[in-house]
Amino acid sequence: MLRNYIKIAWRNIWNNKLFSAINIISLAIGLSAAFVIGLMVYYEFTFDTFHQDGDRMYRVVTDFETPQGNMKNGGVTPPMRLAVREELTGIEQSAYFFNWWISESKAASSKQIFKDPEKIILTQASYFDLFQYKWIAGSKETALQKPNQVVLTRKRALEYFPNLPLTAVMGQSIEYNADIQAVVSGIVEDFDKRSDFFFDEFVSLATAKQTGSKDQILSDSWGMTNNASQLYIKISEHSTAAQIKSQLVALSEQHVDADMIKYNNKRTFNLQPLADLHFDQEYGVYNYSRPEANKNILISLIFIAIFLLLLGSINFINLNTAQATQRAKEIGIRKTLGSSKRQLIIQFLGETFLLTLLAALSSVILSIFALKVFDDFIPKGVDATLMASPWFAGLVLGLITVLTFLSGFYPGLVLSRFKPSRALKGELIRSENKGSLRKVLTVSQFVIAQVFVIATLLVSKQIYFMMHSDLGFRTDAVAYLQTPWEDQKVDKRLVLEQEIRDLPGVSRISLGGMPPASHNMATRMGIYKTKNQEVIQELQVLNGDGDYLDVYSIDILAGRKPLNDTIEEYIINETGMQAFGFHNPEDIVGKYIELNSNKRLIVGVMKDFKQRSLKTGIVPLVLTGDTGRERRTNFRTVHLVLGDKASGWSGTLAQIEQIYKKIYPGEDFKMTFLDQTIANFYEQEQRIASLLNWATGLSVLISCLGLLGLVIHTTERRNKEIGVRKVLGASLVQLNLLLCRDFFKLVLLGYLIAMPLAWWGLHNWLQDYAYKTEMSWWVFALSGIGMVVLALAIMSFKTLRTVLRNPVESLRTE
Amino acid sequence: MLLQLNHIYKWVKQGGKRVFLLNDISLDVEEGEFISIMGPSGSGKSTLLNVIGMLDEFQEGEYIFNEEPVHSLKEKQRAKLYKEYIGFVFQAYHLIDELTVYENIETPLLYKNIKSSERKALVADMLDRFNIVGKKDLFPAQLSGGQQQLVGIARALIAKPKLILADEPTGNLNSKQGEEIMELFKELNQEGVTIIQATHSESNAAYGNRIIHLLDGSKQHQASN
Repeated sequence: MLRNYIKIAWRNIWNNKLFSAINIISLAIGLSAAFVIGLMVYYEFTFDTFHQDGDRMYRVVTDFETPQGNMKNGGVTPPMRLAVREELTGIEQSAYFFNWWISESKAASSKQIFKDPEKIILTQASYFDLFQYKWIAGSKETALQKPNQVVLTRKRALEYFPNLPLTAVMGQSIEYNADIQAVVSGIVEDFDKRSDFFFDEFVSLATAKQTGSKDQILSDSWGMTNNASQLYIKISEHSTAAQIKSQLVALSEQHVDADMIKYNNKRTFNLQPLADLHFDQEYGVYNYSRPEANKNILISLIFIAIFLLLLGSINFINLNTAQATQRAKEIGIRKTLGSSKRQLIIQFLGETFLLTLLAALSSVILSIFALKVFDDFIPKGVDATLMASPWFAGLVLGLITVLTFLSGFYPGLVLSRFKPSRALKGELIRSENKGSLRKVLTVSQFVIAQVFVIATLLVSKQIYFMMHSDLGFRTDAVAYLQTPWEDQKVDKRLVLEQEIRDLPGVSRISLGGMPPASHNMATRMGIYKTKNQEVIQELQVLNGDGDYLDVYSIDILAGRKPLNDTIEEYIINETGMQAFGFHNPEDIVGKYIELNSNKRLIVGVMKDFKQRSLKTGIVPLVLTGDTGRERRTNFRTVHLVLGDKASGWSGTLAQIEQIYKKIYPGEDFKMTFLDQTIANFYEQEQRIASLLNWATGLSVLISCLGLLGLVIHTTERRNKEIGVRKVLGASLVQLNLLLCRDFFKLVLLGYLIAMPLAWWGLHNWLQDYAYKTEMSWWVFALSGIGMVVLALAIMSFKTLRTVLRNPVESLRTE
Repeated sequence: MLLQLNHIYKWVKQGGKRVFLLNDISLDVEEGEFISIMGPSGSGKSTLLNVIGMLDEFQEGEYIFNEEPVHSLKEKQRAKLYKEYIGFVFQAYHLIDELTVYENIETPLLYKNIKSSERKALVADMLDRFNIVGKKDLFPAQLSGGQQQLVGIARALIAKPKLILADEPTGNLNSKQGEEIMELFKELNQEGVTIIQATHSESNAAYGNRIIHLLDGSKQHQASN
């Protein structure tokens, strides 16, 4: 029986090559998307699932509520490390570590210096109690007991000591920042499963006393929170997270200090389950370069896969029910030979299964290519090797089964319902099969495709708008050069600036802090007191010398610049001025604002500009000089405007690099163009846009394939009618119109439904942006016209050929 | 008695009026009979065969087949009944185009859940009997009309039915091929298979031992032999 089914299924697929190809391609597109996305989802959802008792592990984090807004900090204040052990109950284990950023490290025995090494933490044995590593040498009990000890992972050990066997690495010493030494006291295996705990170097916590940040790491003061101070706990079996949380709340209340009351700030310690760590956007993980796993993007991806699969299924259902005529005879015969309805449905499901299987097989191969093509979109660790997991096999089988039922059940049901006596006479098709479901499905296909098209256009428009709108300061031909951050003095930088200033290719130059738009902004509380009230306002602080505003072409509306680079005088922006209750720029000039408990003079007002991406609005901001120069300079960036592009920037850039290398030998040369920085603000949007491009292309392709199939089918059936009409004198255009009209209506209806849906969805999306592009009518019109033209072109491809045929021929073959 | 029709009525509504396809048909068929149904186009021959074959329903009357009341059976039971006892032969052969001769003949056995080895033996017997062993791997399109009808009859016989219903079995064949088919029916009848055929042709009708004349859905009583 089965063999008979497979045979007939195969012959059917083979005899209807075109329809089979349309079906397989449509399904394969959806399946490939589903496979790739499935792999990504699998990858992202299997981080840190292997820890022993991981369901009882939490990170202690800190929530701040301030009048300016709420902040989440993934770190804790250092005394918490002791409090969780000594003051709280119900905690089985805890591990404290400090994410240690240093400028360089090297093996004492080697010359090779590692610049800005990453993944180093300062911690204790308790870390290894909580997170189980496999020890190659040394033991967790003794390895981090004393100061100046370090445990390496196998990977890191091989980087430091490429020529030594692991056994010989023990006892070797490593230098940090050239002044701290640590002896290798243990080697562990790297985690072989996916984990966000990817640290490679574990320095004993006691070593922290020798570092510049010992206050931050081991302080007893409850006042400061650094997100590098990380605390993990494992709660005991009999207590609950809620119990611990209430103790944490009580603890936060115990440690309210005067500043918090004064500024109306509230700090609450909180727990974050280990399972939430990977998708966390608020508290932050330790990812240095990897873009955060974004649950929302993953969910959108899953939806895209589902849509593509649905579109493929719709093609299948449409083409198969449309072809029912051809199969009616076979069904009639089978029924008279004794086949039951159920057996027929099984037969058709079998055929669908075979087709889906073929599609799935080609998809597995396609996915391997897709993984390469979408390289920059897919997380680094996702590759074809993940396909070997049983989970993937389950996904493939599951999808094949679901698709088989989704696509095959309805056509099977329709076909098996045929009455044999009528099916054999070929009667039923005209009366029973009006194809209204097919119309509904075709319309839904085009709704999906059309929504994607509109969304793509509008998202691109928003990106274009954001990248090209006036930020209020100069962005073209502006570049900035960052200097080594471990150099705390300004002297070399002044020399650097002076020498670059003399280059003929540089038209303006300034020494300062960050550029006007950046992700990194320092903030400070500003207080303006009058007789009867006090305005407290958070202010962003920019540092720059007297030329800073000139480089960026930012106008001063009133007042003047600070007298020199080191005097603490401030220029405030318009928004800041208004926040303190002034409406006239002249009025605030000469007033004092309290900053860090010191009265500071406002000497000028500058025009507003957009400090960050256009997602956020303009916030209060002040510009000052290099106010902390004695301790460490804030002037760490050289900003410059390059001359005429025609005269050749590359020469100028090479000269700048030469000067830089002379002043900072051995340091990396990091020159960035501002427009690139601004484009980077919109990385997320760019990713959405490229995702939408693909989703749109594929959904339009699948829908059009389906449309082509239906048009071919109906046109073939109307061969005779076309012949007769032609003989009676119908023109080419009339005939083409006649054939396309019905489908045209469906595409149009799809558009009418898609338009409000798309409008609503995009309107919501745009709400996240402080500055939005217009939802212009032409976006909607253009996408509609595009779709209609495309559909017409596809339909005419077939209808024209039919219409052009010699009527004698078509009438005879009938 | 193999089957009995008592006052069968079948009609369709056309413009609010009943148009009778079968009008008060009563018929007794004994096992081993060979009955020819005659009448012009549209007289209800095919409809009557479809009713007897349980492919079509009727509005009024009783139908007893092999002591089972067909009119009150559910579709599933009816299907079981005709699967067991009835074979069909069609004017247009109605072979499945995608299956070979061998597979076409085998199909009814598949629906009766017969084991593979037994199926092989049965199909081989049938191919042998109709002398079409050499054609077993051909597709219907590769056969002449007469050959296709032979396959059709072989397929109808494979499940060893008690009753064969043949709707104009020779209608698409030339006279020589037609004669051969009728001789075959005669042979089968002599072996004990009950046959009911619908036909236009007097000479074919004469192969039967009873002729029923239909006109506008009613039985005519002018002749019987």
